[in-house]
Amino acid sequence: MSNSRLFRRISIGSAAVWLTLFALAPNLLVLSASFLTRDEAQLIAPLLTLDNYKAILDPLFMRVLAKSLYLAAGATLICLVAGYPFAYTLARMKTRFKPLLLMLVMIPFWTNSLLRTYALIFLLKAKGLISLCLLWLGIIDKPVSFMYTETAVFIGMTYTLLPFMILPLYSSVEKLDLRLLEAAGDLGASKFKIFRHITLPLTMPGIIAGCMMVFLPALGMFYIPDLLGGGKNLLVGNFIKNQFLVSRNWPMGAAASIVLTLLMLVLVWAYHSSAKRLGKKTEGTAL
Amino acid sequence: MKRTLLIVFALACAVFAAGAARAGSGVVYVYNWTEYIPEGVIEQFSEETGIKVVYATYESNEAMYAKLKMLGNKGFDVIVPSSYFVSKMAREGMLHEIDKSKLPNFKNLDAAYLDQPFDKDNKYSVPYTWGGTGILANPGKLGTMPTKWADLWKPEYNGVLLVQDDLREVFGMALKAKGYSLNDTDPKHIEEAYKYLKKLMPSIRTFNSDSPKVPFMNEEVDAGMIWNGEAYVAMGEVPALNFVWPEEGGILWMDCMAIPAGAKNLDEAHAFINFILRPDIAKKMVEEWGYATPNKAAMALLDDDMRTSRVIFPDKATMAKSEFQDDIGDAIVIYEKYWNLLKGEQ
Repeated sequence: MSNSRLFRRISIGSAAVWLTLFALAPNLLVLSASFLTRDEAQLIAPLLTLDNYKAILDPLFMRVLAKSLYLAAGATLICLVAGYPFAYTLARMKTRFKPLLLMLVMIPFWTNSLLRTYALIFLLKAKGLISLCLLWLGIIDKPVSFMYTETAVFIGMTYTLLPFMILPLYSSVEKLDLRLLEAAGDLGASKFKIFRHITLPLTMPGIIAGCMMVFLPALGMFYIPDLLGGGKNLLVGNFIKNQFLVSRNWPMGAAASIVLTLLMLVLVWAYHSSAKRLGKKTEGTAL
Repeated sequence: MKRTLLIVFALACAVFAAGAARAGSGVVYVYNWTEYIPEGVIEQFSEETGIKVVYATYESNEAMYAKLKMLGNKGFDVIVPSSYFVSKMAREGMLHEIDKSKLPNFKNLDAAYLDQPFDKDNKYSVPYTWGGTGILANPGKLGTMPTKWADLWKPEYNGVLLVQDDLREVFGMALKAKGYSLNDTDPKHIEEAYKYLKKLMPSIRTFNSDSPKVPFMNEEVDAGMIWNGEAYVAMGEVPALNFVWPEEGGILWMDCMAIPAGAKNLDEAHAFINFILRPDIAKKMVEEWGYATPNKAAMALLDDDMRTSRVIFPDKATMAKSEFQDDIGDAIVIYEKYWNLLKGEQ
């Protein structure tokens, strides 16, 4: 009895200490820094101000934010369109190779994503594999480069983040009650109707979870646009990094981080509340 | 998240370093750029002097500066800041004075590289290696060879340019092309450079400061600004490439060895610096990186190919027109504002 209580105390206590030290404290430091003033020699001067947030509301930062949101939303949409049929087919497959196929989705994760981005360069460049194949097939007559374009950025982001979309979708399709689909078919519903009224609503939690898991990391990702897109755009990640390292404006960088964190919190909150509502709704229909 | 890790790591280093320093000397803590010391040099130093080297690396001056600030200038005995960070750090009291009586090899250095504006009389710094940014181009594909920075604004270069992803370098190029100093702090001149750079944006195919030679070697770009050491390597791989020091002058930098104000192992730090100044060690550094050495005695040991390379060692006339990057103080905020505008408006 007392042994298990001790264990509980230690495990909860260590988790609490860990989170306080490495999540709560740093975030509070960032939060407090965002209200202070830049100092050339000491990095931060203890003068309270709201100027950092005023500067953040500048149209330039809004443009930077909009560009980041656009790239993240685009990558999410492509991942969804590519990932849904994939996850659906995989989950409904009647084969003993299913675990192996699922494994193949995850294997690229074993390699660092930066390295995989460099590997993409070898496919996309003018003297790269794709260009050489097209040349060999006679489809093009001089080398074509896909590098340093927005297309390359979307290819890179989709490639890196696709598994995050497939896995939640897979688990929600797998949980799908096949009897519902059969019943609908027996009652004369067309394939499209079945998909629209049964499959889609029941897999919605997976869709939302997948979109969140792609969108949030995509928002902060700046090395892919830098490497594949040629770094021609300023994204939120670049902006924050520049504030901290280049202009050594820590308070401003902290304010931008806080704005980004708040934006993400709103999205997570929206996800939770919509998941709750959906949960209630599906429970209601099941009853 | 990265920042958090950095702080935690920095604290861990501080605790560790403080503990180790108390244990006695015979150790030197060296904090240098990534891939910036030839293989075997550290081992050779330890073997010959019996001093153990604890070696850590950084990727940018800014990262090194931030870490030392947070550690209160303690934890390391030798650092290698670039010219413009030497002046900044010295002004902020972050550096220890160099005791030249402990550096018998200081005499090997070429006087041309000493007593520079960023550190008069080399009170705080000893040159490690130096280089500069010029123009690399593929005249065969372009049908022309640029000779000055302003050439890059010509329509022939539309969509084929590489520029560095570094605001001091890019604004330095524009300021030079406009006839100003690359260390200019006048907001009007910086704005003029910004307007001029805006016209260049459509010509730029990629920004790259990680390894600018790679897009050249992949034939993704045909012209652009590049460090001379990178250019030297790229020209070895692709003979069609040609490097030129622009008529307006190059953007020079010098990385210097310095001792942080809170260093504990002063004798060992001087011994390490003195070792790097040995001609045979300095020679290895040129051969490995293709960057110039400030070491006169090492020059005599170099191959003719390297010693006479105008890529590695610009001639006197070029040197006279070129400038070393210096600290620009608070003006960096103005540069950064225009840099954000330049990239954010795309």
